[in-house]
Amino acid sequence: MKAFLVAVAAAVVLATAASFLLAENQRFAYQAFATSGARVSDPGTNLVGPRWTGDIKEPASASHKMEAGS
Amino acid sequence: MARMKFLCDADRCIECNACVTACKNEHEVPWGINRRRVVTLNDGKPGERSVSMACMHCTDAPCAAVCPVNCFYTTADAVVLHSKDLCIGCGYCFYACPFGAPQYPRVGNFGSRGKMDKCTYCSGGPEVDLSVAEYEKYGSNRLAEGKLPLCAEMCSTKSLLAGDGEMIAQIYKERVIKRGYGSGAWGWKTAYRETIAI
Amino acid sequence: MRRLTSLLLLAATLALTAPAVAQVRAPDGAPNPTASSVNEEMLFKQDPKIHGRISIPNATAANLIQPQGREWREFRESWMPWIGGLAVLGMIAALGLFYFTRGRIRLEHSEESGKKILRFNSFERFSHWMTASCFIVLSLSGLNYIFGKRLLMPLIGPEAFATLAQYGKYAHIYLAWPFMLGVLFMLVLWVRDNIPGRIDWIWLKQGGGLLGDAHPSAGRFNAGQKMVFWMVVGFGLAMGATGIMMIFPFAATDINGMQVMQVIHSLIGVVFIAGILAHIYIGSLGMEGAYDAMGSGEVDLAWAKVHHDLWVKEQQAKTASGPQLGRGQVPAE
Repeated sequence: MKAFLVAVAAAVVLATAASFLLAENQRFAYQAFATSGARVSDPGTNLVGPRWTGDIKEPASASHKMEAGS
Repeated sequence: MARMKFLCDADRCIECNACVTACKNEHEVPWGINRRRVVTLNDGKPGERSVSMACMHCTDAPCAAVCPVNCFYTTADAVVLHSKDLCIGCGYCFYACPFGAPQYPRVGNFGSRGKMDKCTYCSGGPEVDLSVAEYEKYGSNRLAEGKLPLCAEMCSTKSLLAGDGEMIAQIYKERVIKRGYGSGAWGWKTAYRETIAI
Repeated sequence: MRRLTSLLLLAATLALTAPAVAQVRAPDGAPNPTASSVNEEMLFKQDPKIHGRISIPNATAANLIQPQGREWREFRESWMPWIGGLAVLGMIAALGLFYFTRGRIRLEHSEESGKKILRFNSFERFSHWMTASCFIVLSLSGLNYIFGKRLLMPLIGPEAFATLAQYGKYAHIYLAWPFMLGVLFMLVLWVRDNIPGRIDWIWLKQGGGLLGDAHPSAGRFNAGQKMVFWMVVGFGLAMGATGIMMIFPFAATDINGMQVMQVIHSLIGVVFIAGILAHIYIGSLGMEGAYDAMGSGEVDLAWAKVHHDLWVKEQQAKTASGPQLGRGQVPAE
């Protein structure tokens, strides 16, 4: 039983470590698909959300229409 | 209802990439994501042709079939759309798509590459038409405003046609008959299982 | 005569090549620019997919059309649910049939019942359970890619299912790493005892004690266990290799390569699940006394002598400080 619990704990720890390593290795499309000549200051968050997951939880601070108007 | 399709007349496409730029600007597509792209075939050789390609909104779309969470749906205009709330970013649609349409905000590895993004035929997503949430997830909804996709509308040589499949096929047929040649509707056989017979 | 022949030949050649050289003209007399241009049909004859050049840095976007996506979809949607369902349900049915005909293989008591012998040390059990627990989650989240939308989604609704599938995907990607590590651990630990030999052939010919009442002799692992070992190692490494190629898109292979990897991954996956179901059955319900080997690590000496006689002899030949424990002795664990 002890070996089993230690094994499950180790699996969780290793999986968490793997998730961090994979996140470290992750590249944004704007990094991967920019040439050396491109200076990407603000890659934009429309369509993909501020955290690049796509689910927008927080209310939009400024809609595109307002931005366009200002 | 119309059956919306794209048609790229490769004999007219001059690879100006205006369709790509129009799409980028209309939907404020972030850096690195390309809903539409122009591919040049036989580049630099005689007989070179460029084709503007995006999601073709296939008949019996393969992306929709393979999606493990069924996040795709087809609108009354036969436009293939998806829900980013349901998408898990698994990438199966990218394997299935014959046109390389699905895009992901992150590209390094499969684990957390975010929600898929693709051409919406300028018709938003499942959110309320013309809402802020719709714009932030899927871009603008020109179809709801009675307009056609901006890429085709902006095309300087009217190479890229968008609209009801039969109408654009008719326009293309007339062109081919008038000028006497045409290299065919690129991708139609794969997307719609039909070609334009002239 | 020869001159005439060559002239005729020349004329024939000219006549044959002439239409290709002459320009096809439009009705208004303008030259036809498509006469020499590429077209879809021609490009598909050269290559199964149409590939060009693109001016954006995303090189994979240079693929214009890959109709193979349709074939992959055909496999995934038309074949895979049937193959997966048959493999998993077929194995469950076969095991059920076996259980009801053969019944539970009982422990045969002898004067040595009650004595314990250490079969798997704590590190061996750790490696086994780390791999096993990961495998359970991996197989469930893997099956979810095929059957989730068909079975689970109608029950819990699309939103709840999408959330579950999202966590399932994360679990699948992240637990794959401890799983692969566990497979490597087990390979190193047990490969020495799993080299197939002549004794395994005899064991197999006698039905391994599963089909008859015979108890063919076996070393530390019998032929059946060796098959499970090599299945886990072989399939585990294959799943790892194909999985890594899909985790890192375009790192090692192109889009068609990833489609093939997915096909291999899913096919091996369902066979692997079916195989492990049989392993779980015989290690728990199917045979009395077998579970202890991985549970506490110590098995009944009577059981061990019946099922792994050569291994017991080998262990007992070792010194008294060997891994044997006396009656009533509290295990070190």
